[in-house]
Amino acid sequence: MPFAGIDVGSLSAQAVLIEDGRTPMLKSIGVRLLSRSIRVKPNPLDSARTVMGELLEENGLSWNDITYCVSTGYGRDQVQGEGLAQSNVSEISCHGTGAHALAPRVRTIIDIGGQDAKVIRMDSDGDLVNFVMNDKCAAGTGRFLEVMSRTLGVGFEDLGPLALRARGRIELSARCSIFAETEVLHYLQKGMDQHDLAAGITKSMADRVMALARRVGVEKEVMMTGGVAKNVAVRAELEKMLGLRMLAPSIDPQLMGAYGAAVLARRARENL
Amino acid sequence: MGIDIGNMLTKVVVLDGDEVIASGIMDTTGNVGSEIDGLVEKVLADAGLEREQIGAVARTGGGAELVEGCDIVEDAVNCVAAAGAYYLPDINMVVDVGGQSITSMLLNDDGDVVNFMRNDKCASGSGRFLEVMSHAVGVGIDGIDEAAQGASAPVSISSQCGVFAESEVITHVNAGEEPADIVSGLCDAVASIVSAQARKFSQGDQYTLTGGVARIEAVAGRITEKMSGQFHQFPHDPRLAACIGAALLAGLDDLV
Repeated sequence: MPFAGIDVGSLSAQAVLIEDGRTPMLKSIGVRLLSRSIRVKPNPLDSARTVMGELLEENGLSWNDITYCVSTGYGRDQVQGEGLAQSNVSEISCHGTGAHALAPRVRTIIDIGGQDAKVIRMDSDGDLVNFVMNDKCAAGTGRFLEVMSRTLGVGFEDLGPLALRARGRIELSARCSIFAETEVLHYLQKGMDQHDLAAGITKSMADRVMALARRVGVEKEVMMTGGVAKNVAVRAELEKMLGLRMLAPSIDPQLMGAYGAAVLARRARENL
Repeated sequence: MGIDIGNMLTKVVVLDGDEVIASGIMDTTGNVGSEIDGLVEKVLADAGLEREQIGAVARTGGGAELVEGCDIVEDAVNCVAAAGAYYLPDINMVVDVGGQSITSMLLNDDGDVVNFMRNDKCASGSGRFLEVMSHAVGVGIDGIDEAAQGASAPVSISSQCGVFAESEVITHVNAGEEPADIVSGLCDAVASIVSAQARKFSQGDQYTLTGGVARIEAVAGRITEKMSGQFHQFPHDPRLAACIGAALLAGLDDLV
């Protein structure tokens, strides 16, 4: 019987089911993991119901098959209140738990989601030591990259590869996403190279994340989670600035919150 | 003559003594360095003057270096403060909300700037912020006053970040909220952001508002409601404050 985690983010919602023993897809941890990700609905409850409903259906399962479910992210208490989950846990704990379960050596998590950025410090037991968060300003979050990719006229997923192919880099003077949009449009009108602009955008993103990371301190090993972790150029830039290689999670980094929730669901069941 | 190359608007005024005899405003473009000549010609024609009759020219604003042929270059903060203090000798603070910045300036009895705070790193609360937000409601920045009328239940905009606030506005639009309620909520949000900065200068109890956003009644009115001090109305188009200040300073310079 599977354990479940539901993570409703600002832009996407994720559902994860883990099952011990059978058909280990993730050989390293001996767990079978099923997942689904959708674009969020206007309300978190709909997002949670849809993403988990679709995942269950896809695998010939029903809500009754879930042994225990933990919700996290936006409206996590509401999701529990409606009976879709048995308990709810903060995203910070879920990302920490998920990352620690996959890589016990991890001490720092850089989690960049659609509308916020967090740097989380943990001890060797995977318990939270400290964290900093920016959810007030779009700069340094996935939204900045979304606005910038739209301005460049490329897909969100294409921004990273585009930046990696750059020969030069046009640094942006504006930190504010709205001002940076104007700045990039101005450079495009002047015929500046799209790759070099993508590299400048990447640098700006990494600068904001580093400013956040410095406030809490970075200790090895470092893992990046959240949707922005899939941007290869941002990853590479951060590794350069931090002077280290980050651990690559063995699952999609965007699933980390939901995966951590599912791990907590399993633990909750074990403790019953 | 004063020339102010702002982030969004470029302004030119001609003063005779302290009287504004002609003025012109255009959008600041990438070619402002060459386009400015047309605006200067137009303002001179309106004033009935030849270029040679201008005593001195001062330029100011973020793009001042783009314009050649000026006698002096003045910092925008000094210009705005000079204009405020000249026409309103009783004030001790000027709050300027421009296209891309919010600046609060504290003045002493002589009208000199003793301290100032400026946010030009972030669009929050600036003219650009209002422009993006009003566009999201389908109302231009010039239509804000009209659109804000008749609001019955103004929405609350909680985000200060322009990008996040835009999403909030779009959510309200999609939820079918009345445009008047959304625009009114926006004006309230901008007024809160501006007054939050200005109120940090607690000594500034006699103040005026300048910059393009001061021209929008719905915003200016809400700022004065949130401020504890006494408001003094700037006697000219508030968009021209820095430009007029530059011209006043050019006049002083010419006398020396």
